[in-house]
Amino acid sequence: MSHEVALMGDMLNLVAEDMQKRGLSKVKKLKLRVGTFSHSVPDALEMAFEIHKAMKAPILTEESTLEIEVEEARARCVICGHEYVPDHRVALCPNCGVPGGKLIAGDAIRILSYEGV
Amino acid sequence: MAEIILSQDALASNNRAAAHNRRLFEQYGVLVINVMSSPGAGKTTLLEKTIEALGDRYRIGVIQGDLATQIDADRVRARGARAAQINTHGVCHLEAAMVNKVLPQLDLEALDLLFIENVGNLVCPSGYDLGEHHRITVLSVPEGNDKILKYPVMFLRTELVLLNKIDVLPYFDFDVEQAIEDLRTINPKSRLIPISVKAETNLDEWYRWIDEVYARWSKAGA
Repeated sequence: MSHEVALMGDMLNLVAEDMQKRGLSKVKKLKLRVGTFSHSVPDALEMAFEIHKAMKAPILTEESTLEIEVEEARARCVICGHEYVPDHRVALCPNCGVPGGKLIAGDAIRILSYEGV
Repeated sequence: MAEIILSQDALASNNRAAAHNRRLFEQYGVLVINVMSSPGAGKTTLLEKTIEALGDRYRIGVIQGDLATQIDADRVRARGARAAQINTHGVCHLEAAMVNKVLPQLDLEALDLLFIENVGNLVCPSGYDLGEHHRITVLSVPEGNDKILKYPVMFLRTELVLLNKIDVLPYFDFDVEQAIEDLRTINPKSRLIPISVKAETNLDEWYRWIDEVYARWSKAGA
């Protein structure tokens, strides 16, 4: 959990930087995209968001909301180029059975957008 | 109200700080190795022994990351290395900005080699670039060979696995061949060196790896 709190703190700093440039001060809604193979899950990030609210993060208010879009992991086989949804981080190509598929989606957390005032 | 598209990786600010650290390390000519493992795998003991063995060849510094205490920094200082301790106060990994903050304590100009001993954890540290040149992971026999597949993200992002405590292999069900095979499956570019720091087994191979990466790096910079 400390991991998500730190990560959320980093993301709020990135948003705060952008808001400052635009003369905005409070976030109304923050949108993230969380990969199923990222280090995190939506529940933990939502809790971290609430913790930052409770800790009075300068850009958050009681009304600030978090919206999370889940991105399914996708892998590409290094041999046959087949793209598939891997069951595990160690991706086995269902087409040719070769392990070591390269993850092409779902291993990151991105800040997509925000609405600010 | 307009929606403002930011489209930034959550780790963007860490990656920026890491790039800054990397520039500093290049500028001062310091090769940096990020050492990761679960708690108790033997990172500090490995570094103590390494400082003793290579202290004549390289000027070595160590940054220690722990949730609390100065114990580890004191241990490597006693072996003659420059050391800085980071206490993360509960955070489960080191971040590039934390490393940057303690660099003034180390005098980079007086170093050739810097080890960053990450917080003992097989999950979180793997996502954070600290500005290092190389990443290694210490895995120890009592943990079991299944850890490579159970914590794939760590082992996907490491270029060397030091399998420590092989002196206790007779007492555990650790399958070394399986560990080598699993590592090859998930990360074909990685390499495993079985060692025992305590029994001083096979440490020369680890020292040789350091010599090789150091030679390659200084040649590239020259």
